[in-house]
Amino acid sequence: MRLASFGQSIAHVNLNAGSFEVRPSPPDWIKAYIGARGLGVRYVLEAGPEVEPLGPDNILCFMNGPLTGSEASMSGRWACTTKSPLTGTVTDSHQGGWSGARLRWAGFDGLVFEDRAETPVYAFIEDGQVELRDACECWGLGIHDTVQFFRDRYGAKNLSVNAIGPAGEKLNRFAAWLNEDDRAFGRGGTGAVGGAKNLKAIVIRASLKKSEVKDAGRWKQVRRDALATIRDEVNITSPRKGGLSVYGTNVLMNVTNAIGALGVRNSQKTSFGERAERISGEFVKEEILVDDPTCHACPVACKKEVEITEGPWKGLRMESVEYEPAWSLGSNCDNDDIGSIAKLIDQCNDLGMDPIELGNVLSMYMEATENGWAPGKGLAWGDTLAMVQLTDDIGQRRGEGDLLAEGTALAAEKLGHPEIAMAVKGQAVPAYDPRGLKGMGLGYATSNRGACHLRAYVAAAELGVVPGEAEPIDPLAWEGKGELVKVFQDLLAFADSLDFCKFSAFAEEPNHYADQYAAAMGIEFGPDDVLVAGERIYNLERRYNNLAGFREGSDTLPSRFTDEPSTEPGSRGHVSELSQMLDEYYAARGWKSGVVPDSKLQELGVI
Amino acid sequence: MNSVLVRFYAAFRDMVGGKEAHFEVPDGASVGDVLEAIVGRYPEMREHLINPDGSLSKRANLFVDGRAMRFLPEGLSTPLEPEHELDCFQAVAGGAL
Repeated sequence: MRLASFGQSIAHVNLNAGSFEVRPSPPDWIKAYIGARGLGVRYVLEAGPEVEPLGPDNILCFMNGPLTGSEASMSGRWACTTKSPLTGTVTDSHQGGWSGARLRWAGFDGLVFEDRAETPVYAFIEDGQVELRDACECWGLGIHDTVQFFRDRYGAKNLSVNAIGPAGEKLNRFAAWLNEDDRAFGRGGTGAVGGAKNLKAIVIRASLKKSEVKDAGRWKQVRRDALATIRDEVNITSPRKGGLSVYGTNVLMNVTNAIGALGVRNSQKTSFGERAERISGEFVKEEILVDDPTCHACPVACKKEVEITEGPWKGLRMESVEYEPAWSLGSNCDNDDIGSIAKLIDQCNDLGMDPIELGNVLSMYMEATENGWAPGKGLAWGDTLAMVQLTDDIGQRRGEGDLLAEGTALAAEKLGHPEIAMAVKGQAVPAYDPRGLKGMGLGYATSNRGACHLRAYVAAAELGVVPGEAEPIDPLAWEGKGELVKVFQDLLAFADSLDFCKFSAFAEEPNHYADQYAAAMGIEFGPDDVLVAGERIYNLERRYNNLAGFREGSDTLPSRFTDEPSTEPGSRGHVSELSQMLDEYYAARGWKSGVVPDSKLQELGVI
Repeated sequence: MNSVLVRFYAAFRDMVGGKEAHFEVPDGASVGDVLEAIVGRYPEMREHLINPDGSLSKRANLFVDGRAMRFLPEGLSTPLEPEHELDCFQAVAGGAL
């Protein structure tokens, strides 16, 4: 493995022909777009913005970053990029665990799946070879049984299995890919693209290989510097001490609840009151936590494996109760039963779906039912047994589930009430109500993959703690959020292209990213270059979307957030001032109403 | 005297031995007075809550009826009303984010 030669081993797999060819990425692409997200999006643009997402001309890229699988801390991630069947935009989704690292150790920097297989296949990858093998025996299996199927066949040691479940096979528009650790390429419906291509699984067998880097001495030092800041007790990443390490992502639940930024009943309210405690990270740690598994090269261990000890789901052991699904399937559906939330997440994982979208489509359907708009028996608020049944129907596209498998936005439109879909560009919103965290609302609206918290995680600053001497950021102020969101988007586009876990940015700063990238690749690269590369990648994505038909006026929020004031403490009386924030944002970006002009693309070297 | 409810979260719960506590403060007391009452009862929390100059540490967040104390016009001098409730969190974000 040679990090310095990143991008030389991209396997182009033609599913129809059953063949593969290893080709290097164009050097100017690697220089401009770094890897993972940036490089993957460049390949997707090359395939054409006009392709039908579930047609054979769409490509499905699994792309490592230049630091994936290295000894750098929190470098266990890789990206899946494609044209989304949920949004029609370009999409990228990132997965933790060990799969990306194993791809690197097996001799590849990326996989580009083209065309469509006639019958179900899986890709077996080992020692620089890719072989397509028959997958009829495991077609129809859930993710967990699929993983076991391949472990029985190849053994569990050094094996990584990425698979789609029944949802992907049945072209559920928010189907996902998951691996043996239940880590997901969760958002955007990448699993449906796999299903459309008859690609059931990617099986990689490889053992750890040490990185070869250009500047070994500097590499050792800069990795130590980065690790030291991750371990620093002042940061939430601090192993066994910081909030993220001790409680996982769900440490956020009580915070957003307290400030009136936690959506309840399909975002009709912004606080769950005292009930939030029962679905919080603190409650999970106290009552049901059994283990803290981790990803490749990660000292944080934010995953929280739980075991349910009472109620209908007693005995269920699963990983992991994260903040996003605890919200989407919890307060968002008026559900404060942590056992049912764990069950629904586990079920969603096994069917192979995005739990953020699932929770939103269920809450949308609950509101439709309450208003008498559901075509069938509907779904009552907080009816957990019915949620479990309907989730299975959605994964299998049965009955009412067939409609809801279209995703929140499209299903609400088919019900004749698009206004109850809490979605942007066809993708449902995450767990931060834009009335209580104004910058997050702008981030949702301007995300290139539809509503997303991870393109611009402004919540970090808006929740009150900022690095160095910077001034604190008021979550309820809209002024200044345009520039702030742009900086976050650019920084995280770079992190996604390395591909580092975003939680690294709770401790590391741009100089840490730049130093590690420079040492590995043997190039000069500074903190300012980080933001320039991130901006280039963000504009590349925007260009794709503009060419795909997302023009002026596409950056929106559901009217619930802009027109219906919050009634809860912390954010009472507030709405999202999206229009004012967009003016700031477009000025900072140099865009015209959401469209990136050629002059900006030329300035950044995109065209 | 007023009895003010303060709810604690994450590791702060270990330091106070529970999810919440009441603090008696004089009529007309400020948010800062409650902060002093907290560290007076739980000295271990001082380094997590208060800077040497008496301001709120960046390692902590204090919310008054859901509004971050930092953004209240009078900050720690904000007078407490009888119905006010406080939430006290560890920092949940930092670094480049």
